[in-house]
Amino acid sequence: MAVILEEINKRKVFFDGGTGSLLQANGLEPGELPETWNVKHPDIITKLHRDYLEAGADIIKTNTFGANGLKFYKGAEFDLEEVVTAALKNARNAVETASYPAGKKKGYIALDLGPTGKLLKPLGDLAFEEAYKMFSQVVKIGEREGADLVLIETMSDSYETKAAVLAAKENSSLPVFVTTIFDEKGKLLTGGNVESTVALLEGLGVDALGINCGLGPIQMKGILKDIMKVVSIPVIVNPNAGLPRSEGGKTVYDIDAAEFAAAMKEIAEEGACVIGGCCGTTPEHIEKTVALCKDLPVRLPDKKNRTVISSYAQAVVIDNDPILIGERINPTGKSKFKQALRDHNLEYILREGVAQQDNGAHVLDVNVGLPEIDEPSMMAEVIGELQSIIDLPLQIDTSNIEAMERAMRVYNGKPLINSVNGKKEVMEAIFPLVKQYGGVVVALALDEDGIPETADGRIAVAKKIYDKAAEYGIEKKDIIIDALCMTVSSDSRGALTTLETLRRVRDELGGRTILGVSNISFGLPQREIINAAFFTMALQNGLSAAIINPNSEAMMRSYYSFRTLADLDPQCSGYISVYSGQVATLGETVRQGTSSLSGGISGGEMSLSESIAKGLKDRAYAAVTELLREQEPLTIINGQMIPALDRVGKGFENGTVFLPQLLMSAEAAKAAFEVIKEKMAEGGVAQEKKGTIILATVKGDIHDIGKNIVKVLLENYGYDVIDLGKDVPPEKIVETAVKDEVKLVGLSALMTTTVPSMEETIKQLREAAPYVKVMVGGAVLTEGYAKTIGADQYCRDAMASVNYAEGIFQALD
Amino acid sequence: MEISRGEIRRYLGYGKNEGDEAVNNLIEECIGELVAAASPKSISRVYPLKLLSDDWINFTVFKTRSRNLSRNLQDCEQVILFAATLGAGVDVLLHKYTKLQMSKAVTMQAAATAMIEEYCDEENRKLKEEYEDRELYLRPRFSPGYGDFPLECQKDITTVLETPKRIGIMLTDSLLMTPSKSVTAVMGISGKPYRCEIKGCESCGKADCAYRRD
Repeated sequence: MAVILEEINKRKVFFDGGTGSLLQANGLEPGELPETWNVKHPDIITKLHRDYLEAGADIIKTNTFGANGLKFYKGAEFDLEEVVTAALKNARNAVETASYPAGKKKGYIALDLGPTGKLLKPLGDLAFEEAYKMFSQVVKIGEREGADLVLIETMSDSYETKAAVLAAKENSSLPVFVTTIFDEKGKLLTGGNVESTVALLEGLGVDALGINCGLGPIQMKGILKDIMKVVSIPVIVNPNAGLPRSEGGKTVYDIDAAEFAAAMKEIAEEGACVIGGCCGTTPEHIEKTVALCKDLPVRLPDKKNRTVISSYAQAVVIDNDPILIGERINPTGKSKFKQALRDHNLEYILREGVAQQDNGAHVLDVNVGLPEIDEPSMMAEVIGELQSIIDLPLQIDTSNIEAMERAMRVYNGKPLINSVNGKKEVMEAIFPLVKQYGGVVVALALDEDGIPETADGRIAVAKKIYDKAAEYGIEKKDIIIDALCMTVSSDSRGALTTLETLRRVRDELGGRTILGVSNISFGLPQREIINAAFFTMALQNGLSAAIINPNSEAMMRSYYSFRTLADLDPQCSGYISVYSGQVATLGETVRQGTSSLSGGISGGEMSLSESIAKGLKDRAYAAVTELLREQEPLTIINGQMIPALDRVGKGFENGTVFLPQLLMSAEAAKAAFEVIKEKMAEGGVAQEKKGTIILATVKGDIHDIGKNIVKVLLENYGYDVIDLGKDVPPEKIVETAVKDEVKLVGLSALMTTTVPSMEETIKQLREAAPYVKVMVGGAVLTEGYAKTIGADQYCRDAMASVNYAEGIFQALD
Repeated sequence: MEISRGEIRRYLGYGKNEGDEAVNNLIEECIGELVAAASPKSISRVYPLKLLSDDWINFTVFKTRSRNLSRNLQDCEQVILFAATLGAGVDVLLHKYTKLQMSKAVTMQAAATAMIEEYCDEENRKLKEEYEDRELYLRPRFSPGYGDFPLECQKDITTVLETPKRIGIMLTDSLLMTPSKSVTAVMGISGKPYRCEIKGCESCGKADCAYRRD
């Protein structure tokens, strides 16, 4: 064990305090990068470290908070290598030359890693792997130059934190400490809370975690209490010197060193093992804190034994109150889903996710395995897309190890992993990944000898898996046993064996369990009847996590009733909130669609063209289904849909119809097209496309709402749209245009700062594909501006793009 | 915070037209989700201000040149640097509906814009009252990109206010703010009372803007 970790086990350990305000007092100019002082003023930096060591700090943070490749690159005034090397040298000098207080040993050096100052994709413009690389560069230099540990601090985004932790662990053997910045409500800036953060960091295997910056010690007490309830590793608290206010251009804090120290004593007594300061704190703050706290008894957090997974925003605990895992993101037996995967139709998958969330799922299973697709890429992409719009934890479900690892790496949290089993080869492949990335892993109670027929056999396999996992340092709490649900129509004792296994894992092994509940009814009619009854029995026998279809009303009824009857639903409030508004509907088995994606008002009959003109999705769907009984698809498209769309489009141009209505009509038409498309596919006819158009938001620009509006309309008018997304480099647009021989490209840019990328894209298109027409749009563009940068057409709105496209492709015919 | 439905319809291009029932329902739905997802935060700091010749302005912590802003800051001895954001949760919502339902995405976009403006107005009103107690008067909020106030000043303001770690506003390479519903601005402080408009829109020189209020 690293020496610093041994120290933490023996006594309270102290960090140093703030740097910024002390450097300003020494003459650091506003806007000047503090890290440059490692090279420009090594004496001042060394003295600062030494002052802290002499005040009693055990660990000094190197002056590298903002040292990253974005600010320090080859060709800049100072490069990264130079700045970080100098920072470590200053720290080492201080450690060697300090006159330590009586009883203090030589200080330790923490390589300090602050946030990049960029928001990660998809909401920002920094890719996860880019962030990882930036942190890795600093870590490699830091370890080489003598750091004793890595401190990742002031993090406010779980995803960036994960990139930094992976960088530290994969590029050094140093202990890793992480502190994040919570607001007074206990939230990270990107939405995570204490529980989700602790789950992520413990899963990643950091050595200590905690909080810094943002608040003073008094405001941090409540957050520390919340951390102590869930944490199993040593906790760090490095607060600011109180709350800041601005006085004559200077920042001052509301408590002094003595008050700070008094509050820190309470924090140490609450259970923090490592304490120090952040913004506004000085050697005096640390000296007073050390004096008050150094002899306090050490109390390491107890092991909490919680089975917990997390998303970027929330943690889900798997304990006596069962959780629901939505099973619908899975192509098995679903021809539409398979087609969506082949067509790379992620929207379909996202809708499945949102529907399950709206219907009460706590976790979503994600399985995208299909022989003819590149599963690792698809898995990583689907995980990325789902976690950008849904805040539920995900269960990564694949037997492809590469897909598993890629998904675990890009996942923003601590995932559920589906699955490992008792086979030696599988355990040896999966457990190292669980150790590296963190996660709770589903363990199927089967091995080389197949599926044990008895509960005895399954319990034996479960024990074997627990033991093997322990060899990798994976605790029992991070494994949930799949008791295996066999179809009852082929083995009439199958259900009883499964139920016995559930019970015994809970009672004899003290473990958690999971089941794919719907398997029970394969081959039987009215499967939901058996599924729901078996589900209730499984819950009664201790099932902790159920993989089910949350869109099935029968299953949800079992779930809500069980919780109420098993004293898991105080005052029956969960049950009442779901069912009090419903009239008796026992005949009905499946819930309607989704609440948050509804298509407006429903009920009553209406013609297709009227439903489209009014933007009523559900009615358009109903009307087209009705019409298809009598009319040919093309008659419907040309006779009702196109005229309706044209009418709305004209209204938009005349200023009588507004953008939201235009889009609602487009969405209603799209819903109708989907029905027609299916009908045509049944008849073996594919809908004819008018032409292919590339759409892209240019490099540097991440606002793509305008482009997406154009896409919706063009698709409705029968064009095949290749949507390259946002922040797209010119090269990619040119390459796609050439490869697919596309005749029309639409580009959008929001800001004056990104129009040059648009101009560059047009220039490259002219050279490589002179036959391509380019239409442009976006907030800052005008007719004249569009001409200047060489576009063929300026489109002031989405209808203008449709009109231009119609003209271009008619001329080509 | 009371978000003006009229402002939301204005951003959606309705001008003074009333929306139909479906759109108005959608607006209410969006406001409900926005209020749950937003976590508004702001930060401000005060610095001495000097107006120099040739429209140069010295904010103590950075300098810039702008004719429009020089006029706006006439007679001011100090300046407030201000930043505010609705937080990343709102961008998650916008992202979600951009993927799934564009009609809701554009409505959400408009509602979020109205919300950040209202939040800035509220925060500015508090500052205004605070200063008026000391017989000091605030000038209208003025943001980088208004008129000839260079967008590059975005960098200086976010750096000086430490917005990345304090309230979570970060810049992309092309100076876009993330989260997208964020505002940076300056407000002059003067001993002379003067027409103080809290609103930002009218103080902008871009008279041909499609969304202009007056």
